[in-house]
Amino acid sequence: MQNLDRSFLKEVSRRSGQGFEGCFHCLSCAGGCPVVDAMDYNPNQLIRMMQFGMREEVLGSRAIWICVGCFSCLSQCPNRVHIPAMMDTLREMALESASKVAEPDIWAFHREFLKQVRKRGRVFEVEFMLRYKLSTGALFQDMGAGLKMVTKGRFRLTPTRVKGLEEVRRAMEGQDGRNR
Amino acid sequence: MAATADGSKAGRIRYYPGCSLASSAREMGESFEEVAKGFSLAMEALEDWSCCGSSPAHSTHPRWALLLAARNLLLAEEQGGGDLMVMCPSCFVRLKEADRQIREDREKAREVERAFGRGYRGGVRLRFFLEVMGELGLDAVRSRVKRPLEGLRGALYYGCLLSRPQWITGFDVGPYETFLEELFRTLGAEPAHWGYARQCCGAHLAVSKPKTVDRLVDRIRDHARRAGANCLVVFCPLCQVNLELRGTDVEPLPVLYISEVMGLAFESAEVKGWLGRHLVDPLPLLSSLGLI
Repeated sequence: MQNLDRSFLKEVSRRSGQGFEGCFHCLSCAGGCPVVDAMDYNPNQLIRMMQFGMREEVLGSRAIWICVGCFSCLSQCPNRVHIPAMMDTLREMALESASKVAEPDIWAFHREFLKQVRKRGRVFEVEFMLRYKLSTGALFQDMGAGLKMVTKGRFRLTPTRVKGLEEVRRAMEGQDGRNR
Repeated sequence: MAATADGSKAGRIRYYPGCSLASSAREMGESFEEVAKGFSLAMEALEDWSCCGSSPAHSTHPRWALLLAARNLLLAEEQGGGDLMVMCPSCFVRLKEADRQIREDREKAREVERAFGRGYRGGVRLRFFLEVMGELGLDAVRSRVKRPLEGLRGALYYGCLLSRPQWITGFDVGPYETFLEELFRTLGAEPAHWGYARQCCGAHLAVSKPKTVDRLVDRIRDHARRAGANCLVVFCPLCQVNLELRGTDVEPLPVLYISEVMGLAFESAEVKGWLGRHLVDPLPLLSSLGLI
């Protein structure tokens, strides 16, 4: 046990501002999670894996990308372990690391959204959706839904741009995560 | 009107629209604005607002989320401070979280100063739109109802962020739930009793994992139907789109914003414009009930 690599757990803890020793695996988080069946590990299992120093397995997991941050786990955790904040940190660390992003489509969604923000300060939904489709190669998947949005007039078809775009870009300085 | 704060003109609500309200959830903003007008309240968008730092930013770059939200707080402070109403629950949680972090964590406050060359002094009071609605008062609502919505049985759907405890998100629908049910009844409609009002709609996975979200939406609709609802009533732009677009039903339930339902009962001239943009056409239901 003394040979366990604690550095990973310490780093997640520091960056997310969370202690994980409170978790006693009661499964309240997993039980209340709306998307747990799409995850490869339960949220509490990720905590245990972090405690065992399993850096690559955690950062390479699908679970960290599947979490939508609905706070169901946190509101049900008897020890208030902030799993959504942990997931945010783990995704950030996964992008910094050499691990493969296990859910490339979800990352593409985030990445294309952020590109919009950098470009205009806001999201131009039509272009965002098209670019997401192009980057995932699933241009025609869900075409019906997209067309319905357009024909129903749900999308604004002309973009707007923030005047203080420089400030928005300053807010997004530093590492941009990888393009993959 | 209590909806405005010190310094701001009476009868005006400064608000943060956010990306959805500017596009796919236009009818949420437009209908709220129309309803507010009926109460002599004018909406005024925050000048030059930018992205709040919602899901993609905080999910992958928590620091960006803080700074993106902070820019809007700085703008609001410079444009007079006081109340800033937010319509989208996700934007609200981001702004509220940044506001809290900057007030409580000196390092975060310094980070904001470093990025923008000026600091946020905490001069903004963030208010979720339901708080502002709660202040309208049921009597005032009742006096404006022209067409009681008889036959409309709505499952009020709060989704995730609204219904989490206040210590997590800064707002909890709990204290407003009774008000909302009474408001719905005041409009002549009937709220359904059901247990799925707080289940997550799947959020952004609707785009990247449509099948997962189909399942969540099917379950929500199924429970609403079993409770006898003929429509869902929502408070969030993302919930609205997901509940209309996802799920495998051939005849999904219409999904209305609470402000559209109010506009309907007040016989607002704009109603058909809002409802005409819905992906699940609510007009057959509404005309069968003689409400439109």
